[in-house]
Amino acid sequence: MSKHIVFLVISFVLLMSLQVLVFRNFVFLQVGFPFIYLLFLLSFPVDSGFTTAMVFGLICAIIVDLFYQTLGIHASAAVFIMFIRPTWMKIVVPRSGYESNELSTIGSYGISWFLGYAAPLIFAYCCIVFFVEAGSAQFFWHTITKALVSSVITLVFVVFTQYLFYPKSN
Amino acid sequence: MGQLLSFLYRFRAFFTFLLLEFFCIWLIVRHNDYQRSSFTKTTAGVVGSVNQTTANITEYFSLKKVNEELAQENARLKSLLLSNRAIPFDSLTQLSIASDSTDSLSYELIPAEIVRNSIRNANNFFMINKGSNDGIEPGMGVINSLGVVGKIRDVRGDFAQGISLLNTRNPISAKHKITERMGTVLWEGVNPQVAKLLYLTPDVRIEVGDTIVTSSFNSIFPKEIMIGTVRSSEPDKNNTYLNIEIDLSVEFGSLSFVYVIKNNEKPELDSLINSNPQLF
Repeated sequence: MSKHIVFLVISFVLLMSLQVLVFRNFVFLQVGFPFIYLLFLLSFPVDSGFTTAMVFGLICAIIVDLFYQTLGIHASAAVFIMFIRPTWMKIVVPRSGYESNELSTIGSYGISWFLGYAAPLIFAYCCIVFFVEAGSAQFFWHTITKALVSSVITLVFVVFTQYLFYPKSN
Repeated sequence: MGQLLSFLYRFRAFFTFLLLEFFCIWLIVRHNDYQRSSFTKTTAGVVGSVNQTTANITEYFSLKKVNEELAQENARLKSLLLSNRAIPFDSLTQLSIASDSTDSLSYELIPAEIVRNSIRNANNFFMINKGSNDGIEPGMGVINSLGVVGKIRDVRGDFAQGISLLNTRNPISAKHKITERMGTVLWEGVNPQVAKLLYLTPDVRIEVGDTIVTSSFNSIFPKEIMIGTVRSSEPDKNNTYLNIEIDLSVEFGSLSFVYVIKNNEKPELDSLINSNPQLF
């Protein structure tokens, strides 16, 4: 964690402002919402504590909530994925195993591991956000389409951002 | 006691999770009741000014469309003005001039600009750049030159948040303009151009293209403000009500300038309703 603290702070500021100022204004195909700030939460090292991760998730998501005018919805989804993240990471172990103090990004463990790790978490996040926001299962197929398309778009942006701006493996 | 503590310690992650999640649920529930304040005093200014800055940048891209809309509205107002005949100096026709102009001024319009708007959620909200400093209060109606936009739900110093017509919890009292039959317009949650008109019985003759306007049964909007036109109409399964879809006249995707309606008679109406609750 300490090794990457500067990098994490910079990526927090940049990704949050990107999310709030730029990506909030884009809706792809009328159903795809990119949540690029999830990259910050997903890139936490494997040995960062439960509580730290959840509190960071809460803080980021509440900032996003304030701008999306959906107070609490993104927050609950982010806290949930930060809670299941360590358990999920134990299931999808990369071939070489985890290294302590290493960011969980493509640069550290490779693209195939990252996709398997990030895609279900992002999908869980989108499902919670859209189902809580809709408030009912009345438009089940519409909501699930929203969640699916948004997760794919979020994943694409999250992967490309890493290829463009994140440090390569050492 | 020691066992309890060790139990708590062992599952501390889970308990922290529960605690944070309860906090979020509390936020959601408090926010859900749309009359309650949703953005706190401390954050409203920051969020509002960031929204204002982004709106300042993005509004350049829609200037042409805004111009067109304003020109159209000007033309409409001009034609209204021209159709107002001059006072005839013929004693046979009745001459009536309102003795006090403040009597007839029951609605005032406050112009405002949208700084934030969403259309793709099931419950959409917008934010305008006028607030309590400009005399805006919760519960006021919001329209633009094309029709009904929504109503104000929360007001801070320089910004106010509104609940859009595109919100599944925002019913609006409406009527079919030709037959004067009352109904309720409610958005369904999917298509931002289409809403439902509820509670019209099959005996009403509805044609595609008929105009739906606000009714006079509310103190938020003046009567006969445009809402939309009928897109399709068919009786429901039990033949009790009509299933009417309406095309909304307002383009919510490109909202920019709106008017907030101040009803000067609202305090009187409200006090009347409060003193005779069983009548209403």
